[in-house]
Amino acid sequence: MSTLESPVPHDLAQACVELAVEKEKNDKLVKALHIANKEIAFQIEEKGKRAEELSIANKELAFQKEEKGKRAEELSIANKELVFQDEEKGKRAEELSIANKELVFQDAEKGKRAEELLIANKELVFQDKEKGKRAEELIIANEELVFQDEEKLKRAEELIIANKELVFQNEEKEKRAAELSLANIELLSQNEEKEKRAEELVIANKELVFQDEEKEKRAAELIIANKELVFQNEEKEKRAAELGIANKELAFQNEEKEKRAAELGIANKELAFQNEEKEKRAAELGIANKELAFQNEEKEKRAAELGIANKELAFQNKEKEKRAAELGIANKELAFQNEEKEKRAAELISANKELLAFTYISSHDLQEPLRKIQTFVTIILENEMENLSENGKHNFQRMQLAAGRMQQLIDDLLAFSRISTTELKFETTELQIIIEEVKTELRDTILEKQANINATDLCPVNIIAFQFRQLMYNLISNALKFSNPGIPSQIIIESRIDKGSQFNNANLSPEKNYCHIMVNDNGIGFEPHFNERIFEVFQKLHGKEVYAGTGIGLAIVKKIVENHNGSITATSELNKGAQFNIYIPA
Amino acid sequence: MKSRPLNILLADDDKDDRFFFKMALDALSTPTQLETVADGEKLMDFLVGNAHQLPDVLFLDLNMPRKNGFECLSEIKRSKILQQLPVIIFSTSFEQEVVNLLYVNGAQYFMRKPAEFSQLKKIIQQTVELFSSNHISMPIVSPTREEFVLIVQNSLTD
Repeated sequence: MSTLESPVPHDLAQACVELAVEKEKNDKLVKALHIANKEIAFQIEEKGKRAEELSIANKELAFQKEEKGKRAEELSIANKELVFQDEEKGKRAEELSIANKELVFQDAEKGKRAEELLIANKELVFQDKEKGKRAEELIIANEELVFQDEEKLKRAEELIIANKELVFQNEEKEKRAAELSLANIELLSQNEEKEKRAEELVIANKELVFQDEEKEKRAAELIIANKELVFQNEEKEKRAAELGIANKELAFQNEEKEKRAAELGIANKELAFQNEEKEKRAAELGIANKELAFQNEEKEKRAAELGIANKELAFQNKEKEKRAAELGIANKELAFQNEEKEKRAAELISANKELLAFTYISSHDLQEPLRKIQTFVTIILENEMENLSENGKHNFQRMQLAAGRMQQLIDDLLAFSRISTTELKFETTELQIIIEEVKTELRDTILEKQANINATDLCPVNIIAFQFRQLMYNLISNALKFSNPGIPSQIIIESRIDKGSQFNNANLSPEKNYCHIMVNDNGIGFEPHFNERIFEVFQKLHGKEVYAGTGIGLAIVKKIVENHNGSITATSELNKGAQFNIYIPA
Repeated sequence: MKSRPLNILLADDDKDDRFFFKMALDALSTPTQLETVADGEKLMDFLVGNAHQLPDVLFLDLNMPRKNGFECLSEIKRSKILQQLPVIIFSTSFEQEVVNLLYVNGAQYFMRKPAEFSQLKKIIQQTVELFSSNHISMPIVSPTREEFVLIVQNSLTD
């Protein structure tokens, strides 16, 4: 630089001075710069140291953060485990209550099954009785019995299986009870474990508090870091408080679990008692099964007997079928014969009706000329009396008598045919009333014959009243007519109701009820061999000079009895009275 | 009016019976006027022809040709003009059912022709007396079922 200033020597000194000054200035500046450099270097060293300390402190903080995060995760995991364990305990408690309900339900079911067995036993007894009754239906009954025996065997097998199931269930219950007691022990040990962990957590908290104090010291240097730490501490205090509460809850839960363990102990005792009961019941069921087995054997024996009886019955059935076939043929023959007889009977009935109609019409038409003959005779006897000789008068009188007799015959014939042609109207009637009417009608004759008619205790009868009146009239007037001269006439009328089999009369159905009406007299009677003939039309045993009559009266009586689907017989011996027996359905 | 004879109409196909009836009437002391017809058709013709002056009583036989007594009775009782005419059935036979039917059909009386002439006179006399005392005060009273069959009252004579 001096070379550059050299052209100007005046200025060189000045310049040198200026240069010296500037050099001093530069030295001073260099010295100042040197000091400043040293200060800067010191500051740089200080800054490096502080930076290293900060980085160490930061690393520690980061480490602490990581530790806190890990511990927080562990706490949350521990909490989750506690919650899970609680849930598990709740589930197990529910399962226990369900298991208890199932046990109760199974007991009830066993009770029902025992009742059903009793009912089934009663039904078996009833069925045995029914089998006795069903002897007629032996084939079906036997099949049913075999089927029932099989069913009973199945039921016995089912009972054995049921018993085995009961035994198995008892064993299962005992196992479950053992498991429950184990579970209780486990719960107790878990509780203890939880208490230990809680204590560890308290210690950990204390360590955290200690670390916090350490961090507070360090916080003076690290304001920002401290604030964060303070915040973290507050959080940790809260968490510690929560852990304290959690510990209290755990203590409470432990108490609850102890209570539940005590209850489970009681439940276990009850289960043990129930198991004993079930064993007793199983023993009873075993006895019942033996009885059933015995009954089954008895039934098999009976079934065998019934089988033999069935074979006998089958044999008898075959015999009966054979006989039935024979009877069927015989029945067909009988049916054919019956048809033939019915045809002939129908022909006879219609022929009879024609005959009766002919009798009726002819008798009816005979009345008119006869009446005119009688009228003319009476006119002559009335008006021409003095013109007739004694002989003529006598002959006219005999003519009049003959005409009267003919009139009587016609009247009787008309009555006889009318009995069969008129409509039949049955009504329940008191015989007593009918007999009283007849007695009134025959009053003169009764007085003349000094007759005593004794009719008491007569049953009411279902009859055609006007026909029966004629029947009683004919029988009583007959008894009076044929009374024994010199002896007061005694007529006794009685009646009683009994089965046809009780009367000695082949015309009656044995099982039907009949009213037997007896008319007894003490008159002249008749020879026994006339006992049928007296009921025939126009049959007389005496000349009309001795006993007047047309011989139709008893034929009418018989016809009336037949109209009542009844039967009449007469028994008598000469001079020993007569007995008329009338049987009509009651 | 009391002196007017009782107008009697007899319907009977039998000549002998008409003879007996007339003879019996003539023997009575009661004055009577008798008309006779021989069958049912003639009877109805007579009644229609004399509707303005009907007889006091009709004696009606049942068994007649062409139109029997039943038919005549039914026609008389159905006719408004003739139904007041008293009809006495006069028959040989006596059938309970027939008698019941005649009563139901409105006949006044039923009588059976007696065999003895004396009985015939008596029963005709009874009937004539019945209507003589009755025909002034018409209409006549219908008899009950019990009174329907006229029988000879023996106690009235001798």
